[in-house]
Amino acid sequence: MKRFPFVIGSTIAGLAGVLSFHSRATTGPLSHSVPVKAGTSARPVPAKPGSTETTAPRSSVAHSAPTSTVPVTTQGPPTAASATGVNEQYGYGVLSVRATVSGSRITDVQVVNLQTVDSYSQQLADQVIPYLRRQVLSMQTARIDGVSGATYTSEAYAYSLQSALDKLHFR
Amino acid sequence: MSNGAVGQVIHATYASGVPAVAWPARPRQDPVGGWAAGVSTPEQPVVHVEAVMGTMVSFRVHPGAQGRDRCREAIEEACEVLHTVDATFSLWRPDSPLSKLRRGDAALAEMPPEVAEVLDLCRHARDCSRGWFDPWSMPGGFDPTGLVKGWSLDRALEVLKRSGSTAALLNAGGDLVAFGSPAPGARWRIGVRHPWMADALACVVRLDAAIATSGPYERGPHLIDPRTGRPAQTVASATVTGANLAMCDALATALAVGGADAFDAIAGLDGYEAYVIDASGDEQATDAMAFLD
Repeated sequence: MKRFPFVIGSTIAGLAGVLSFHSRATTGPLSHSVPVKAGTSARPVPAKPGSTETTAPRSSVAHSAPTSTVPVTTQGPPTAASATGVNEQYGYGVLSVRATVSGSRITDVQVVNLQTVDSYSQQLADQVIPYLRRQVLSMQTARIDGVSGATYTSEAYAYSLQSALDKLHFR
Repeated sequence: MSNGAVGQVIHATYASGVPAVAWPARPRQDPVGGWAAGVSTPEQPVVHVEAVMGTMVSFRVHPGAQGRDRCREAIEEACEVLHTVDATFSLWRPDSPLSKLRRGDAALAEMPPEVAEVLDLCRHARDCSRGWFDPWSMPGGFDPTGLVKGWSLDRALEVLKRSGSTAALLNAGGDLVAFGSPAPGARWRIGVRHPWMADALACVVRLDAAIATSGPYERGPHLIDPRTGRPAQTVASATVTGANLAMCDALATALAVGGADAFDAIAGLDGYEAYVIDASGDEQATDAMAFLD
């Protein structure tokens, strides 16, 4: 049960770069954070040998970081605009995305081209891409400058997205 | 006026004669009619993405008084460092110095001085990790790739520091290194990817210098246990922060395969912090890991 997500799990590396401008630029509530539910099965162990100190209690990661709320922008009535990013090659194929922005928010990201070197990579991409889209849309509220831990598909996705946003002069 | 703004203005007056107002007070024209219309903004960073070492390295550099053109030159110079390191240490290129050394076609004395430096770093990382990072125990022969990527980013960041940039964040496929701050009074905030949920972060940490996360992700387990020479799968996610990315990369690899023993080793090191998620989702971190809400 715990094993299969290793295969399909994916996140955006370099989304960092994509969203960092945005997170700096927004005038939305900066008090927003990544909420973590309390009271789950955290079992912190002593951090240093012979020490009884433990880290601050943290929840099981399975419940972490629901970042799906979208703050309402306080700017004037925004106009939606879209652009398609470049075809990004990655280790197992090529993909490009189309981004839609409205004011200071990315409101949608769609994959417009995806070619993979084999059917397994296609399967992986098909599973991963919906998560990437959701992450782009939700991470705008997480106020982060980067993500540690990377994958192949996610990098191509992020860089095509960046080029689409560049075309829109999106900051 | 914030301290950060004061510092920037002072810097502008002595560094190059470029007045502070040379920084774009506003970003370029915003055709989507968004926030830029009426909001004053901090300095916009110069961004760049470079394909090198089999991955993409993204640059976000705050140019400071040197101006954007000179900042771009510094980024070019930093990219040259990355490509030179790649040419020296690539195991995919049979004619790279490291490939020759591995085959015994050349002696260490004939290598560029960087090779000896990396070998020393590898020994240091092996000792610090109680042997859980061991490039000499890889099935295909000596393979310092994990450490070299981080080391090259450390060197690229030095180039940007020397250029007079006020802040920079480099991201090589999820291994990040930074200096300065993203905005006056702000700190770099880095999410650690969730090992199973792609639309969530496991946590957010403050980045002062370097962070590396290792784990079996999209392509399945790829980490080798140096004690068996076989794929290891003991933890779901292993993150190390510290002063330089070379060591963080090596220690994150060690933590991913060495589990509790490697964790204890890192916990005993000055200046490095560890955060690990095990296969059942339980988390553990050293005392000073800089978690943010």
